[in-house]
Amino acid sequence: MSGYAGDRTTGFASPAADDIEGPIDLSEALDLRRPSRYPVRVSGATFAARGILPDDVLVVDTSVTAVHGSLVVASVAGRSMLAELRKTGRRWHLHSGDGCRPPVEVAESSDVEIWAAVTGVVRLVV
Amino acid sequence: MPVFGLIDANSFYCSCQRAFDPALKRRPVVVLSNNDGCAIARTKEAKALGIKMGDAWHLIRKDRKLAGVEWLSSNYPLYADMSRRVFEVLTDLVPRVEPYSIDEMFLDLSGINDLESLCVKLRQDVSQITKIPTCVGWGPTKTIAKLANAIAKDRPELEGVCDLTGAGARERYYRNLDVGEVWGIGRRSVEKLHASNIRTISHYVDADEKLIRAISGILGERIQSELRGDSCLRLSDMAPQRQGVSCTRSFGRPITEPEEMREAVCGFATRAAEKLRGEGLEGGHIAVFIQTSPHARQWGWYSGQRALSIPATNDTLVMVRHATRLLREIWRPGYRYIKAGVHLTDLSPDGAQASLLEPRNMAAESAMRAMDEINQRYGKQVLRPASIGVNRNWSPRQNMLSPRYTTKLAEIMVAGTF
Ligand SMILES: [Mg+2]
Repeated sequence: MSGYAGDRTTGFASPAADDIEGPIDLSEALDLRRPSRYPVRVSGATFAARGILPDDVLVVDTSVTAVHGSLVVASVAGRSMLAELRKTGRRWHLHSGDGCRPPVEVAESSDVEIWAAVTGVVRLVV
Repeated sequence: MPVFGLIDANSFYCSCQRAFDPALKRRPVVVLSNNDGCAIARTKEAKALGIKMGDAWHLIRKDRKLAGVEWLSSNYPLYADMSRRVFEVLTDLVPRVEPYSIDEMFLDLSGINDLESLCVKLRQDVSQITKIPTCVGWGPTKTIAKLANAIAKDRPELEGVCDLTGAGARERYYRNLDVGEVWGIGRRSVEKLHASNIRTISHYVDADEKLIRAISGILGERIQSELRGDSCLRLSDMAPQRQGVSCTRSFGRPITEPEEMREAVCGFATRAAEKLRGEGLEGGHIAVFIQTSPHARQWGWYSGQRALSIPATNDTLVMVRHATRLLREIWRPGYRYIKAGVHLTDLSPDGAQASLLEPRNMAAESAMRAMDEINQRYGKQVLRPASIGVNRNWSPRQNMLSPRYTTKLAEIMVAGTF
C-alpha cells in the first residue's frame, strides 16, 4: 500500500533490494486468470463427507474433460448443482454427495448438462 | 494470399447472462442500455416476440405478450471479462487476434491448411470454455470476412461457419445480397447507389471505380477493392493508445441542485483521473459538460460545455478542482439536468511532462497510488475526495442488474449440492 516492499530503505541500503518478489498472489496460484477458470460458491451440505462445506469457493474449469468420479458443476433443470459424475455402462449420471437423491442421467432430454469440472476448493475460516 | 477471419458472438450480452444462469436457457432474454432505457441485446426467442433493437423498455414492459421475457440491466464488468476470455481462447489457437469490438474479433488465418476444421474448433472451444455461441466467417479480406460472418449468422444450415475464400462462392452470394449488407457502406451511400442502379454486391463489385468513388468516396473505392479480394485493411493488434478518457453518465432522475451536480461531476473527475493512473497516463486538457433532456423541452433545454488546458496531471484533487471551476462557469439554475460528464484529453505518458521548474509532487503521487490501491482492494470509491459526497441517489437506474459473476468474489455463481 505504501509502495515500500523491503527495498527502498532510507538509512542503510536494503541488501534485499534486488530480490523483491511481493506477496503470494492466490489468483495466480489457482490459475484463476485462465479463460476456462471460474469461481463458484457452494450452497448446501450434501458433499460435507467429501470435504466440501457450505460457502466454500470451488475453482472449476470448463476446459477439463470430466471423467468417472469427477466432481462437476452441472445445470439440472435450470439450477447449477455440484455433483459427482459416474459412468454406468455407456451412460453418464450425476450422483448426489450423500446418496439421498436418486442419480439423474446427463442428457439433453432430461435438461442435465455438465458446466465445468471442479479443480480446487478455497475455504476462508472466519 | 492473406486470409482473414471474423468471429462474432451471437447476442453477446444475453449469452454472457445465460452462461451463468441456466434458468435463462431457451427463454427470451433482453439486456437493456444504461439506465434501463432500451433493448440493446436480444436472444433469438426475444427477437421472435417482435422486440426490436432500441425498443424503449418503459413502453413495452407492460405488454402482455412479453410477460415471460427476462429483462436485465447491462452488466459491463461481466461482459468485459467474458470478452477477455473469448480473446484468450482464440489466441491459444490463432497467432494474431484483433479485438474489433467487445463481441467480435478479426483473426489472421493466413497460411493455415485446413481452415474449415480450425474454424469449427474455434467455435467449439469458445462455446465450451466461455459458454458463448459464435459464428465464424473467413475470406481474403476483412470486408469479405465480415460479410461471410453475417451470412453464417443468417443461414442456420451453414452451422455457424462460412467460407468465402473462393471467388465462385463469393459470386453466388454477391449476386443475391444487397449492397447495404456490406460493412462500411452507410445508409446514405446505399440510397445513392440504388439510385444509380447499383443494387446487389455484384453490381457494386463490377461498377466502374470512378463511379463508386464519385458516390461513396475513397472509402467506397477501398471497400470495392476489398470485395474484389484485394486486401487493403490490415489486422491491427489492439486499439491504439486512447485519445482521451471520459466519464459520463445519464442520471436516474433529473438533477436540479447545484450541490448535487457538483458531487456528480467531482465523481466523474475522480473516476477519469483514476482511469488515467490505471493506464500510466496524464491528461493536459479537461472538459466538463452538463445537459438537459432533448426529449423534455417543455422544461427548457440547455447544454453547456467548457474546457481548459492544464499542466499534464493525473492527480484526482487537481482534476476535481478544475472540474468544479468549469462546472461553476456552465451551471445555469432552473434546469432539469439529465446528463453530465468529464473528458480528459491531450494524453501523455505519466511523468513525461515533468520539468525542473515544476518539480513533481511526490507526496500527491504517492497519495494517489495509495488511494487507488485501497479502492481496488475494498471496492470502488471507498476513498474519495470529500467533494463527491456520499448519497449518490442520482446513480443510473440498474434495477435488474445480475451479479458480477467473474469479477467480484461476493457475487460469484452459486451452485447447490446435489
Ligand atoms: Mg454479435
